[in-house]
Amino acid sequence: MPVNLTVNGRRHTLDIDPEMPLLWALREALDLTGTKYGCGIAQCGACTVLVDGTAIRSCVTPVSALDGQEVTTIEGLHPENRHVLQQAWIEEQVPQCGYCQSGQILAAAALLTAIPKPTDADIDSAMVGNLCRCGTYPRIRAAIKRAAGTGA
Amino acid sequence: MTIALERRSLLRAAGALVLGFAVPLPAPRHAAAQANPPVRPPMTGGAGTLTAYLAIAPDGAITLYSPTTEMGQGTWTGHVAIVADELGADPGRIAVENPHPAAPYRRDVGAGPAMGSGGSWGVRYWYQPLREAAARARVALVGVAAERLGVPAAELRAEDHHVVHAASGRRLAFGDLAAAAAQRPLPESAALRPAAELKLIGRGLPRIDIPAKTHGGTIYSIDLKLPGMVYAYARVSPVFRAELDRFDAASAKAVPGVLDVVAIPGGAAVVATSMWAAMRGGRALDIAWKPTPHDTTTSADITAAMKDGLAQPQGAVSRNDGDVDAALRAASRVVEADYEVPFLSHTPLEPWNINVRIDGDRLEIWAPTQNQDRLLNRVVRETGWDREKIRLHTMLQGGGFGRRLYEDIPSAAVIVARAVGRPVKMFWTREDEIGQGWGRPAQMARLRAALDAQGKVTGLWVRTAGTSMNRDFNNFQGDLDASSVQTLNDTRYRTGAYRVDYVRRQAPVPSMPWRSVGATQNGFFMESFLDEVAQAAGKDPVALRRELLAHDPRALRVVNTAAEKAGWGTPLPAGRARGFAFVESYGSLCAQVAEVSMENGRPRVHRVVVALDCGSQVLPDGVRSQVEGGVIQGISTAMGEKLEIAEGRVQNANFDGYHVLRTDEAPTLIETHVIESGERMGGVGEPPVPPITPALANAVSALVGRRIRKLPIADALG
Ligand code: FES
Ligand code: FES
Repeated sequence: MPVNLTVNGRRHTLDIDPEMPLLWALREALDLTGTKYGCGIAQCGACTVLVDGTAIRSCVTPVSALDGQEVTTIEGLHPENRHVLQQAWIEEQVPQCGYCQSGQILAAAALLTAIPKPTDADIDSAMVGNLCRCGTYPRIRAAIKRAAGTGA
Repeated sequence: MTIALERRSLLRAAGALVLGFAVPLPAPRHAAAQANPPVRPPMTGGAGTLTAYLAIAPDGAITLYSPTTEMGQGTWTGHVAIVADELGADPGRIAVENPHPAAPYRRDVGAGPAMGSGGSWGVRYWYQPLREAAARARVALVGVAAERLGVPAAELRAEDHHVVHAASGRRLAFGDLAAAAAQRPLPESAALRPAAELKLIGRGLPRIDIPAKTHGGTIYSIDLKLPGMVYAYARVSPVFRAELDRFDAASAKAVPGVLDVVAIPGGAAVVATSMWAAMRGGRALDIAWKPTPHDTTTSADITAAMKDGLAQPQGAVSRNDGDVDAALRAASRVVEADYEVPFLSHTPLEPWNINVRIDGDRLEIWAPTQNQDRLLNRVVRETGWDREKIRLHTMLQGGGFGRRLYEDIPSAAVIVARAVGRPVKMFWTREDEIGQGWGRPAQMARLRAALDAQGKVTGLWVRTAGTSMNRDFNNFQGDLDASSVQTLNDTRYRTGAYRVDYVRRQAPVPSMPWRSVGATQNGFFMESFLDEVAQAAGKDPVALRRELLAHDPRALRVVNTAAEKAGWGTPLPAGRARGFAFVESYGSLCAQVAEVSMENGRPRVHRVVVALDCGSQVLPDGVRSQVEGGVIQGISTAMGEKLEIAEGRVQNANFDGYHVLRTDEAPTLIETHVIESGERMGGVGEPPVPPITPALANAVSALVGRRIRKLPIADALG
């Protein structure tokens, strides 16, 4: 059964199992590999994407649930990869291995859409679902504040 | 250390790569790859190959063949800074690649030459060879320019990607000189630039791998796609090391997309058209393993065995200064305590995977490895493949922390690729990544200190017991595993009589080096216990360390820097305490102060002050980044990480049960004070990890009024 999916502004009709989690549809059917598999059970946030601007865990979201909604992946966050958060991430030299960072940036993007000037507590609650095994949390926090214009 | 730099042997090494694999590698077909092709053939044509480490194309593009795997620790950028500075190159025009293992890329740090990245060697080992190679390449370029310009070489300078004749204002681009320079022998040696000319080393450079990591452009091993590739999920036994009994292929083949099920060592590979289908097939697979002697083993059994090790009258002695027994007998007071740490998982965020392609008698491997020669050796040993016909591509990887020193079932991937006749990505899930073990071994320690009437330490005996990491990882057969006494054996503390010994009590959980290895647990044992000793002697914990290090100005400076910067001894808000620790590992000395309070029964780390003497540094911000990451990883282990073992297997094999620190519990303030003592350059990736755990535990002990002797702290607090 074909599944309709709109990703980064492009509409796709895919011949895939409607139960397939969005994560795998993105990675395997659309070759958008910036979205990562980390745990498969909504615990790590590596697979975070935006659906109508809200951060969701694509590893537990079946593609069939997304018809008519707008999915944004890290590849589509900004046409030239120069979103204010991406720039802040470079300024603050955030990533180490980088594997978690697509998810971190998208979670932060959803946060700034909802709360343009987040407090530390806002950052905690928006980002607590995104693990970073390399321990870049202080730099992520600094980059979010820089992007929000609330940095020290 | 000998690094073969003879031009002839280098070209042969490079030639073997190029000639043996003249077939161009396919570009991965996904869109994201276009901006960032992960695999390129090495520079061919010999045109600009100046040394094994450097090639300069006619357009000036430089390829640096780095011997280290980039796992996020930043060594590639460090190498760019070193080469660009010495050569006079624009760092923005240097791209880095990992070469296939060959002599120039192997390091020998005591275990024979091998290509790999571990032991925090990435910058400190390669600093000198890369500078020398770049200096020789620079002299060669200047030599060609001197001939072309008809001026003495002494009048020329290499800067800004050109050779410049200041007197006449003439400039020749590196790219125009490289081909001619490559045709002549490189000078045997070349003087390095004086320190005053260095612009990047010690000052830094933005990390070259960061921009792509902000837009999903980095192609990790798990992202690589080869034409015709199939995906094989390795379903292996959850009980450690169990052998396959039987499986029913039809049970998996009923899942759409599943193509085949292939027996592999330890289990079965479910081969499918996608990773998702392979995982689903793997879950559906009806499979059974043979019984093992440890089918009922629990964490409590492992602890009991270690306790038994502590109680043995004799251990394998690694150090024995003076007469500890006599010191303990003569003591006016003896302090004694037992400590314990659990098995840990590295759990890098990219789960293990490996890509292989067979073409006739040729085998190509794309892997997220930090131990290239070891991986190749294992493939050769287990498959009989001709080593000369294998080509290994090292991928950027989603974390290592030591875990990628081990090669998981690489031969199984070859078996599957042979069976299905297509390129294969073999992978496993987070549950396998954590559940297969291969983490830091559980360990216990019993420490006994003798104090005289004045509270001076006159003797110390440290007994450790537990799994020998090297027995699992290196098939070590002796009694004394150096990792089990690491940092204890060569401590700078002077405690009078001193004995260190170890009793091996092997658990069935496979173990291997985990970031900073034995220094993590032994640092925790020693530094926690010193706080107990200080308390018993009525001394300030830092004052006790100063006393034990009075003979050692270098160590004292590190201890004092951390204490002063943290305001040690100054008043804190109510409910806060500081904890201190000092551990030397991997050639660097590191002291830390953690400022902690208790919130809802859990420690809250507000501030960590770090003093690190790593001799000298190449990338100051890179050092800070490693310190921050190391501190947070250490806090993570102290707070909540442990493998729970029951029924011979890991019970908490995903992030819902294996608790990695999250941002809400991470300190927002980590201050790094690097001491450039000018001593031999030390490591940076690992040394920041060991001190934080005891510094945190010492602070918590002060807050809750009883000693934290068992990790994780969450368990110790109950
Ligand atoms: S992969 Fe989806 S949350 Fe971990
Ligand atoms: S940068 Fe490695 S997991 Fe976050």
